[in-house]
Amino acid sequence: MGTLKRWSALAAVAALVLAACGGGAAEPVGTNGVSTGDGSSGSIEVSGSSTVEPVTALVAERFNQANPGVAISVEGPGTGDGFQRFCAGETDIADASRLIKDAEREACAAAGVDWVELRIAFDGISVITSVDNPEVACLDLGDLYALVGPESEGFATWADADALAAELDAAGLGGRHAPYPDAPLVITAPGEESGTFDAFVELALDEILDARGQSEPTRADYQASANDNVIVDNIASNPTSLGWVGFAFYVENQDVVKAIAVDRGDGDCVEPTIASISDGTYPLARSLYLYVNLAKVAEKPYLADFITFYLEDGITAVAEAGYVPLPEALIAETKATWAEVGG
Amino acid sequence: MATRTVTAELVHRSLTRRRVGAVDTVVASLLLAALLASLAVLVTLLVDVVAKSVPVFAERGFDVVTARLSPRPEATGLIQGVFGSVVLSLFVIVAAFPLGVAAAVYLEEYARDTRLTRFLVSNVRNLAGVPSIVYGLLGLGLFVKLILEQLLGQDSGRTLVAGGLTLTVLVLPIMVITSQEALRAVPLELREASYGVGATRWETLRHHVLPTAAPAILTGAVLTIARAFGESAPLLLAGAVLSNFFAPAEGASLLSLVTSEKYTALPIVIFNWSRQPQEEFVALTAAGIVVLLVVLLAVNGAAIVTRDRFERRR
Repeated sequence: MGTLKRWSALAAVAALVLAACGGGAAEPVGTNGVSTGDGSSGSIEVSGSSTVEPVTALVAERFNQANPGVAISVEGPGTGDGFQRFCAGETDIADASRLIKDAEREACAAAGVDWVELRIAFDGISVITSVDNPEVACLDLGDLYALVGPESEGFATWADADALAAELDAAGLGGRHAPYPDAPLVITAPGEESGTFDAFVELALDEILDARGQSEPTRADYQASANDNVIVDNIASNPTSLGWVGFAFYVENQDVVKAIAVDRGDGDCVEPTIASISDGTYPLARSLYLYVNLAKVAEKPYLADFITFYLEDGITAVAEAGYVPLPEALIAETKATWAEVGG
Repeated sequence: MATRTVTAELVHRSLTRRRVGAVDTVVASLLLAALLASLAVLVTLLVDVVAKSVPVFAERGFDVVTARLSPRPEATGLIQGVFGSVVLSLFVIVAAFPLGVAAAVYLEEYARDTRLTRFLVSNVRNLAGVPSIVYGLLGLGLFVKLILEQLLGQDSGRTLVAGGLTLTVLVLPIMVITSQEALRAVPLELREASYGVGATRWETLRHHVLPTAAPAILTGAVLTIARAFGESAPLLLAGAVLSNFFAPAEGASLLSLVTSEKYTALPIVIFNWSRQPQEEFVALTAAGIVVLLVVLLAVNGAAIVTRDRFERRR
């Protein structure tokens, strides 16, 4: 049958393509591989913050080179999504760019997931504008509230926030860098699903939100994006823009965006640098964490090896990924916490 | 109404697509402008992407295709994405193609024109218009969670099987519709002649209708595979890994890579690279798009060659 022959020819071509590609992806069959027969053994699953993902991915790659028998996957859908899967027992490690929330604690407890929290790095949330914006060099927390807080909804220019800033200043809440330029205020920043959003609200706005009795964290009328490169692009293409991203994204894009120094309220304008984030003088510094499922540690010996490797040899990945390494004392603290439970 | 004398000359000019009068000239140039505008967008995109990707290919060569995913831009590569995409396409070819053609043959050649048939046909048409993300949710709920994890007891159902099945149901309605159109285009006289010499319905189908419709059916299949190849949203939901690093355990067999290991696909790798902070990933993203286009062209090319052989045979 001519037709049949033709079909088998097509199938053969497809099979060849598959084999050619498969050859690259599949390593030669070895003998020391951990059994993958029942699925769970021999694999480590990490999910969580997209901010932490690059660090964990670097560590995982190195660990995998030394321990090729262990299958590892590192995903970065966001801190919230990561905790959701972690507390359902689907993953072994949750990367987090903020502390675990009460609701997430309860979800973990309800599912019987017991965990340990390990601080691994610092990040400085960088408030950024275009390099073509010479007028704004420093803002305090009150200024940030006046520009992006819930009461700023509808402000189309920076100058629209002048009155609110004066009001805050009178109440001793900051806003001392007003008056602002009379130029369009174009805000692009992370959306509510992002750990970077939560951390910014917590570090910059929370106190003032309480003092003003506001329930919404920020204005709703700004462009939110889950993609940090989109944020950087929008900020760069608009001379009077405003937004915030993780330190790594600012450092990698210094040619197009500049950081606005942040004033804690004492008149001291601090730019985000490795030094200022590391010693805590930069007001918007936050910590990055790993949350490890302890039952999984007991079940999979190589998971404990992985965490130990992460904290010892792997920790240099923090600087490599563009974040700020913890000072000696703090990393020692993390190691001690780990040693208590599983190391 | 203005009258106009129809001359043989005028008819000839119209038929040979030469212009007749001012209105024709205006309409023709507007249409040409529309064509050029859409081409301009395409060419700009292609030139931009290719130009950006040149440094990567110059520096890394073919290595960028054969290397595995890595968080280090200088070492990362596409092989896991290429592998995933090719296996997913095979799923579509093996599952969606025969199912879709069979369903279309039933609807066009066997089913009687009842209310139920019309209801089924309009449903298939509606399904073809359902946004792909909805199929992703279906894939997550049905294939990942219910079938693979609960019924088959796999630890993680986020495998190529789940992704392949999701894409299969996604493109199935399109496959049915394009095959239906192909069968409908076969002249009724052909069937009449066949029945007239005493052939059965199956013989008519087997020897006359299907061979005549085959080139058009294959064209539809090519478009369908191309659609599946470029999908990313449903795969993200159906468990594809959006990641800078994942590796199967050493020694994993090809079969276990398909049935039990994590997977990704080319469009997903491209999406992931586009959101990385490092400057180098801009060029890598462009390189990924070029590879995607080349693989897609290769798949399409292979299908077109097959189709042409069918056509020549007749």
